[in-house]
Amino acid sequence: MTALLELKNVTKLYRGFAAISDVSITLQAGRVHAILGENGAGKSTLTKMMAGAVSPTSGEILLDGKPVTFASPGEALRHGIAMVFQETSLVPSLTVAQNLFLGDEKVFNRLRGLYIAAQQFLQSLNFPVDPAANVSALGAAQRQMVEIARAVRKNARVIIFDEPTATLTPEEKHHFFELIERLKARDVAIVFISHALEEALTISDTITVLRDGQHVITDATSAFDRDKIIRSMVGRTLSDQLYNRDAMRPTRPYGRKTLSVQNLSMGRLVRNTSFSVYAGQVTGVFGLIGSGRTESFKVVSGVAKRNFFHGGIVRLFGKAVYYRIPRPAVRAGIAYVTEDRKVEGIFETMSIAESIHIGALAADKGGSWIVSRRKMRELAARWSKALSIRAIDSNARVLELSGGNQQKVVIAKALVQDPRIVIFDEPTRGVDVGAIAEIHEIINGLADQGLAVVVISSYLPEVLNLSDRILVARQGRIVEEFAMDEASEEKIMYAAVH
Amino acid sequence: MSGFLKNVNQEKVVFLLFIVIFILFSVLLPGFLNANNLVLLMQGVSVLGILGAGMCVVVIGRGIDLSMVATMAISVAWALQLNGEGMSLPLALAIGVGVALFVGLANGLLIAYAEIPPLFATLATSACVYGFGRFFLIHTDLVYVTPGVGMLVELGQGRVLSIPMPVIVFAAIAAIVGAILHFTKFGRFTYAVGDNYGTARVTGISVRHVLVGQYVLTSLVAFVAGLTQAMAISSMNTRISDTLLIYDVILVVVLGGVGLSGGRGGIRNVVVGTLLIGTFLNGMTIMDVQYTMQNAIKAAILLAAIMIDTIINPRDEQTSQHGDI
Repeated sequence: MTALLELKNVTKLYRGFAAISDVSITLQAGRVHAILGENGAGKSTLTKMMAGAVSPTSGEILLDGKPVTFASPGEALRHGIAMVFQETSLVPSLTVAQNLFLGDEKVFNRLRGLYIAAQQFLQSLNFPVDPAANVSALGAAQRQMVEIARAVRKNARVIIFDEPTATLTPEEKHHFFELIERLKARDVAIVFISHALEEALTISDTITVLRDGQHVITDATSAFDRDKIIRSMVGRTLSDQLYNRDAMRPTRPYGRKTLSVQNLSMGRLVRNTSFSVYAGQVTGVFGLIGSGRTESFKVVSGVAKRNFFHGGIVRLFGKAVYYRIPRPAVRAGIAYVTEDRKVEGIFETMSIAESIHIGALAADKGGSWIVSRRKMRELAARWSKALSIRAIDSNARVLELSGGNQQKVVIAKALVQDPRIVIFDEPTRGVDVGAIAEIHEIINGLADQGLAVVVISSYLPEVLNLSDRILVARQGRIVEEFAMDEASEEKIMYAAVH
Repeated sequence: MSGFLKNVNQEKVVFLLFIVIFILFSVLLPGFLNANNLVLLMQGVSVLGILGAGMCVVVIGRGIDLSMVATMAISVAWALQLNGEGMSLPLALAIGVGVALFVGLANGLLIAYAEIPPLFATLATSACVYGFGRFFLIHTDLVYVTPGVGMLVELGQGRVLSIPMPVIVFAAIAAIVGAILHFTKFGRFTYAVGDNYGTARVTGISVRHVLVGQYVLTSLVAFVAGLTQAMAISSMNTRISDTLLIYDVILVVVLGGVGLSGGRGGIRNVVVGTLLIGTFLNGMTIMDVQYTMQNAIKAAILLAAIMIDTIINPRDEQTSQHGDI
């Protein structure tokens, strides 16, 4: 067994914050190496280093025992290292065949020849994909197959999968695992990042666990079981506090019906969905990617527009409302805390105080049209304390904070608007472990105060821990509702995928 | 001083550069460091500074207004012409303001509602405003200031405590724009929209209204700049919108450190940028450097300032994704 790719003591600093610190890992040909860890443990950063998308601040990368540096993913690919991303990197407007041969076209391209070659190649891999189909018309699983086929065609010796099974149905998963076996037989080294521990236990040969950017343990898979992995992932019994529901905590009773949605539709993402949200409790929303869980609530909060015809009805406290933009929704008391902080959560040039203040101003809670710096500082001090935002002072830039503190600023910016319903979309994505508990506490506190709280999450334990009732989304609609005492991981997952 | 050095940014680099050049010129150039010349220096760039103050509003909002010069030329020239034809001064000025308001509104609506990139929208309105104005409204390229303007001529030619009025207008406009940006809700929202449009929208800011407001404000400032200029030289040449003046305005704004990526900088940056350019132009004029050469040197300074800024404050992934404008 020879070491194919070796990372030695690699460290990656982002603005002085170590995303990966002093990690060593060795990949071997024909073996599946699972990398596990919590959100924000550094799995993605580590694998991106292997694939040349991120260059290490220090440490070295050895390929076949020789030190290499990759300036770009393209260069890594030429060395035989391919990465299959969570969001695929295919060109949607081109056909499967064109995507397969992208970058290798001859000067004079004969499309027919391309299709024939692609057909033969896909058949050799036993992939049922039409080479003449546009990639935009393919489902998630087929896209992934194309992506994998492309990696294989480039003679990749290392293939990195980032959450490959998140979007797949059980049957597709089965195919995927078969494929992994075939790749193993071709002596490809496979890296596998997943949240699904059972999958990792089933298909991997070696498991590495990361925590907060640091290497915890690497061992043969046979030496692990589920409990051991979780213990190493969270390091302390914190996992119990974080994701195991406190059995003593009673389910909160239904309050007033805050939000009632009927037959909501938006393009292909939200299809005729209906659900309700009640005050004084946490409504968990679970769904896989593409289930329309985020989009449904974006329509409710005016961030996205529902269909013009037959768009459905949204009722807030019994009154029909139609928001085309977020502003009226914000004024009516709907706060949406985004899943994508960078795009619609933070102001990167602003300080903590300025960000929170903007939230107050936008909801017309900040007084007249002249702003008071003194009030801004008071506001910031109050909310920093309430949400325990940790920074040198409230003049620190939001961009320089850790993920958890950034998220708290985004939450403060929403809460300062005095909302009546708060929608948290993936509230702990990219948040360090310590802050997860605090954010959960904030969410619980809001429900206890009598607000209607919605938590959208693709992480089942989080939904199970926080919610008083759980909605499950699949293919653009809410398909099932569970009360807490009847909910279990299996039931919810079953509803989400079938 | 250590605090000064710790947070080096383009504004400080440019300010240091200004001081160094100022001292250099003072020592090397006879006739540079005397009161008369310094007044002249400021007077020479005050209109540019006013335009810069207007421009910085839209640039902070991650936009740009290429139609400023055309707006100032046509709105002021028409007002002057109407006044010359016998219309009362307040009414003529009101019409001039109306034109500026209209152009600003058009820019804002095109950018905020039709979602045309500011670069193209204002480039188009610039050509439209000049073309329409020159064809339908204004009879000659050059419109002279007639005695009908009365005391208003002091706006360009008067002095208060031996400081020329244009300099005072520049200071006043800078103070007003600075106050708007810093102390009003509109100003804070301008920064928010420029920093991150998506976040501003989700937070509940009426982003479109803010955008329209920015372009209206910029156009109004352009009118003031045009009026000051016309009064100072007793005429308004509409051909000014064919010149490279607009690029000088952008130069002043960007040189001072108002980032084209939006949300960064403020009125101070514009003042610093204006000072540096003023010093340079004045010094080069004393040294009898040719106009074309002056342009080349200006461009070199701009590149140097931006390069230094990029080295000190590396662009992050976000800007490289979205591009600078």
